[in-house]
Amino acid sequence: MNIQEYISSGIIESYVLGLASPEEGIEFERICSAHAEVIAAREAFEKQLEDQLLQQRIAVPRELKSSLFSRIAMEEVQQEPRIPLKKPVLVPRVGFPRMVAAASLILLLGSVLLNLYLLSQYKHSIAQYKDLLASQTQLANSNQSLNTKLLNYETAINHMKDPVMEIVKMPGVPASPSPSSMATVYWNTSSKEVYLLVNQLPIPVTGKQYQLWAIVDGKPVDAGIFDMEEGTHFMKLKTIPRAQAFAITLEKKGGSDTPTMDALYVMGKVTG
Amino acid sequence: MSLTTTYNEQELVMALKTRNNQAFEYLYDHYSGSLYGIILQIVQNSTFANDVMQEVFVNIWRKIETYDPAKGRLFTWMLNISRNASIDLLRSRNYQNSQKNQELTDSVYGSDQVTQTSTDSIGLTKFLVKLRPDHRVLIELAYFKGYTHEEIAKIQDIPLGTVKTRIRNALLQLREYLK
Repeated sequence: MNIQEYISSGIIESYVLGLASPEEGIEFERICSAHAEVIAAREAFEKQLEDQLLQQRIAVPRELKSSLFSRIAMEEVQQEPRIPLKKPVLVPRVGFPRMVAAASLILLLGSVLLNLYLLSQYKHSIAQYKDLLASQTQLANSNQSLNTKLLNYETAINHMKDPVMEIVKMPGVPASPSPSSMATVYWNTSSKEVYLLVNQLPIPVTGKQYQLWAIVDGKPVDAGIFDMEEGTHFMKLKTIPRAQAFAITLEKKGGSDTPTMDALYVMGKVTG
Repeated sequence: MSLTTTYNEQELVMALKTRNNQAFEYLYDHYSGSLYGIILQIVQNSTFANDVMQEVFVNIWRKIETYDPAKGRLFTWMLNISRNASIDLLRSRNYQNSQKNQELTDSVYGSDQVTQTSTDSIGLTKFLVKLRPDHRVLIELAYFKGYTHEEIAKIQDIPLGTVKTRIRNALLQLREYLK
């Protein structure tokens, strides 16, 4: 094989940038180990790339560094502590009974070892305790959020199956900015409370909020604004004693006094 | 005491392998800006880029023992970790869902609402614009989207051999621009 041709075939750039296939990579590493000029060419390209990219830095958000370093410090704590054991040097002392010296050294060594062992056990237990504490808190948190979610779902289902509920389906109107939109009003015919289920509505842009309107004798009456952040998309809005239809428009945050008609998404008539 | 410490590459790798915090901080201060650039170019969203960035440096810290200087420079190794992590994110469900929501919002409100970080003038993209369009699109798909040559051949409906040749040619041109 002609090495110069191989060098200028583009394989070096592919390999360095991670674009070579696994087979090409293995072949490249094999050829590198036999031809120093390929390694030299690879290093030259790596250096060019590095120099260029190092000249073009982007400001990294400051808080990233501190959170990274605290995460790494955490990982350090969780690792087994490594304590190097140094062999004590035995120095024979003239005029001292050998047996007593040996026995006391053994005792001392034993005590040092025991202390080191206990220290490592202690650190290990602390780390385990921290782990357990962290996972316990995490479990409690996720349990609580699940409970809240479940409660929301239960409330929604209970309202939906209540026989006194009048169901008003509101499909997307033809001129709707999103004709496939759909929402449903559940209107309690005895208490007159209005609940809304969002079947499908685009997420509003910042600064905008959806507003529900009750159409009473041809006039729109504000029936409440709503956000779609809540997980269930089933929410209680204003109590409406009387209405012939319901509709949803997209308004500025906080709602409007009168509906913006070209931002009318869905509308549905009360059948009862 | 640590203010004036600088390392050459061998010293830095040695210090990192002994898990020296000061060396890692030097590594971060020295390279994070460039790696952040490449991550941002691939994921195109600063919230996601911040997550990827943290993963990348935690992985560098964890995997420094596996870094083999015989296979390439430290920066190349870190650059590839950054690119791979960014492309893994592109494929994640979380990212794809966020893109769908973005498209939905765009289609309703017009794309002028998109607040993407403009990365046209940084890193490799700066050189990319100098390539012929039919070469550039292949580098974009291969390097910035992480598609294999086979996948690109299918997407672009051109023979696999042509894809390989064009990518190799484009890379050689890129090298000329880097000089």
